[in-house]
Amino acid sequence: MTSLGNSSSTGTEYIVRVPKNTSKRYNIMAFNAGDKVNCSTWTQARMERDMSNRRMYGEEETPEAGAGSEFGKKQREEARRKKYGIITKEFKVEDQPWLLKVNGKAGRRFKGLKKGGVTENASYYIFTQCADGAFEAFPVHGWYNFTPQAKHRTLTAEEAEEEWGRRNKVVNHFSIMLQRRLREQEHGEEEEEVAGEKGGKKKKKKGGKGGDLRIHDLEDDLEMSSDESDSSGGEDGEGKSKSKKDISSKAKAKKKKKRKGSDQEGLEDSDDGDFEGLEVDYMSDESSSEEEEPEKAKPNKGDDVPKGIDEASESEEESEEENKNEEEGKEEEEEEEGKKTPVQTEKKKKKEKESSGESDSSEDSDIEGETASALFMAKKRTPPKRGGRGSAGSSRTGSRPGTPSIDNAATSNTLRAAASKLEQGKRQAATSSSDTPAAKRLKMEPSSQSPSGKSTPQPASGKSTPSSSDVQLTEDAVRRYLIRKPMTTKDLLKKFQTKRTGLSSEQTVNVLAQILKKLNPERKNINDKMHFYLTE
Amino acid sequence: MSDRGEVDLTGAKQNTGVWLVKVPKYLSQQWAKATGRGEVGKLRIGKNQGKAEVSFTLNEELTTIDSSSGKAPVVRAPREHPFTMQTVGGQTLAVFTETSSGQSDAEGSSSGTGTGPDKIALEGVVVQRAECRPAASENYMRLKRLQIEESSKPHRFSQQLDKAVTTNYKPVANHAYNLDYEKKKKEEGKRARADKQQVLDMLFSAFEKHQYYNIKDLVDITKQPVIYLKEILRDIGIYNVKGTHKNTWELKPEYRHYQNEEKSD
Repeated sequence: MTSLGNSSSTGTEYIVRVPKNTSKRYNIMAFNAGDKVNCSTWTQARMERDMSNRRMYGEEETPEAGAGSEFGKKQREEARRKKYGIITKEFKVEDQPWLLKVNGKAGRRFKGLKKGGVTENASYYIFTQCADGAFEAFPVHGWYNFTPQAKHRTLTAEEAEEEWGRRNKVVNHFSIMLQRRLREQEHGEEEEEVAGEKGGKKKKKKGGKGGDLRIHDLEDDLEMSSDESDSSGGEDGEGKSKSKKDISSKAKAKKKKKRKGSDQEGLEDSDDGDFEGLEVDYMSDESSSEEEEPEKAKPNKGDDVPKGIDEASESEEESEEENKNEEEGKEEEEEEEGKKTPVQTEKKKKKEKESSGESDSSEDSDIEGETASALFMAKKRTPPKRGGRGSAGSSRTGSRPGTPSIDNAATSNTLRAAASKLEQGKRQAATSSSDTPAAKRLKMEPSSQSPSGKSTPQPASGKSTPSSSDVQLTEDAVRRYLIRKPMTTKDLLKKFQTKRTGLSSEQTVNVLAQILKKLNPERKNINDKMHFYLTE
Repeated sequence: MSDRGEVDLTGAKQNTGVWLVKVPKYLSQQWAKATGRGEVGKLRIGKNQGKAEVSFTLNEELTTIDSSSGKAPVVRAPREHPFTMQTVGGQTLAVFTETSSGQSDAEGSSSGTGTGPDKIALEGVVVQRAECRPAASENYMRLKRLQIEESSKPHRFSQQLDKAVTTNYKPVANHAYNLDYEKKKKEEGKRARADKQQVLDMLFSAFEKHQYYNIKDLVDITKQPVIYLKEILRDIGIYNVKGTHKNTWELKPEYRHYQNEEKSD
């Protein structure tokens, strides 16, 4: 030790050896501090290479010979690769990540990714002290960064997107995953049907959760409360699905309304929609919403708690009553608009009849929930069913005020689709059901939002008493439209579709022109289009 | 194979502490030249006024650096290398080794090429990190300069040639290859229609080997004119227009006899 004059320094010398010919390759296993990994606590560990990337380089899907093979495929592939200069990287086992499992199945899992560039400019050595006091230095061959792998369930990309869309609405984030778990459990149990009770309970819970979550999301912060409400909601749901009593439907409607109200306050505010219900008087049963409703309601209720605002609003407007029929409606959807539960339809219709009375009454947003839902429920049912109801049906449909103005585009598209379907159904049914109001409503343009149901005077124009569901091109109807909101001629024409009124397009145009002359509405230019409107 | 992948945790349990030392490239090269038992130098650990001082001294014999140009070593590696000690920091660094049984070369082998299952063992945990720095000395400066000069040389350079290059292509009336090709074609002559049955036999045997064939390949195989061949094919086969095997011919299902299909003809 040739330290110069520093007597306070003491030191020991060790010999450093770099052993050769060792078959051991030294690597570094790096963990992040935050993961709190203590190697001494490991009782047992298994580590192996993660070969999952091998198939990327393998590419041996096509058989070489025999069935399914092509003559000269390999050569062609090779020629093609050469032509385009595609170079596939080799699959090097050395570079593959490690999979480390600590403490058996229940323990932690880690994935170790190779860190590049470690040995490029400087070498790392591991100095260990041997028994004889000498140091041995081993070169480090590779450096792997180990990260713990999550064992809890995570959302897939699509689900994450959905949840992201709902992030403003969902207050109780904890329940998102819980819901998913329950949902999965339910799927599993449905097949087994083991503990029926347990399954039933779970279903209930799930249904309740599904249904109630929607409603309670903004109200309950804690999971607990949602749980409670879940159970009650679940029962509700069950009851509904089973009996579809008016009460339950009412409750559902209320809930829907509540949700709707809470979720889409803005939507309700528009005055435009206030009077939408007016015309719905004679709207026939077919509400395009029906078709939407089954869809939306189903996802609403059950599995897709996460839903974009658009979807939510759509489903809400269209299928308030959907909720009632959800359990059943789930499957049906696009089909004959809930043909499957004629009974309920009837019940609803009855209810609607009572509740709605005149379409005007349904204007009221207050009643909206109830009646609207009732109406919508009925509307959802196939037009044929409603056919019998006739005016009742028509009046019902009208009661849907204030369709949210938000997703007009979305709704109207779907509405239109639904409407056209409804129309077809109606045609088939050959009942003069009040499809028209609903259909018309649905076919309404986005701007017009609310399908302005028309009172349905008798065919052949003129102000006859509302008959079953044909939308008539009467002065009354036109006036009503124009009072509500300014419309272009095109809009008006749309409302009086030839299919509905039974007039040819020419006739419609003529009659409409006459009526307009009579009414002499005021004109306003909106968006470079001439709109008519009346003020009364 | 149950042992495969099982990690030997003795090192972890004993909590053997090791040092992770970063060593300059030239030094590791010198260490690789060590002879005998591999002794490369001495490590001196001292305590100087409370602080630990660690320094490594390279053995004399290893200071000679063989330069790439083969000349006598101009520079020698510095001998003194103080270590800069550092804490491990936030990371937990463990050392694991991969041993391959059945290989004996110094490099060892990766798990892929080992004849037997690799043994993975946890040797220990890093307790101290250090950087081996060369003591600033003339020697080192010279060495560094040499390194820089070498690395700054471009890998590609221009070189003047003495004579013109004559190995490029000369104009030729017709390439040899082309001549051969035409001759071959002439010999073959036009394709003659063979017996239908014969052609069918040929086709069936061809389709036994592969399922899908291009019309050109079939023409090659059967040596039949295209039109004739197509007619026959229309009888027994179908032409795939879409799908993965587009524009290929395959036998009709009833003629097929592949293992995973059922034969009916």
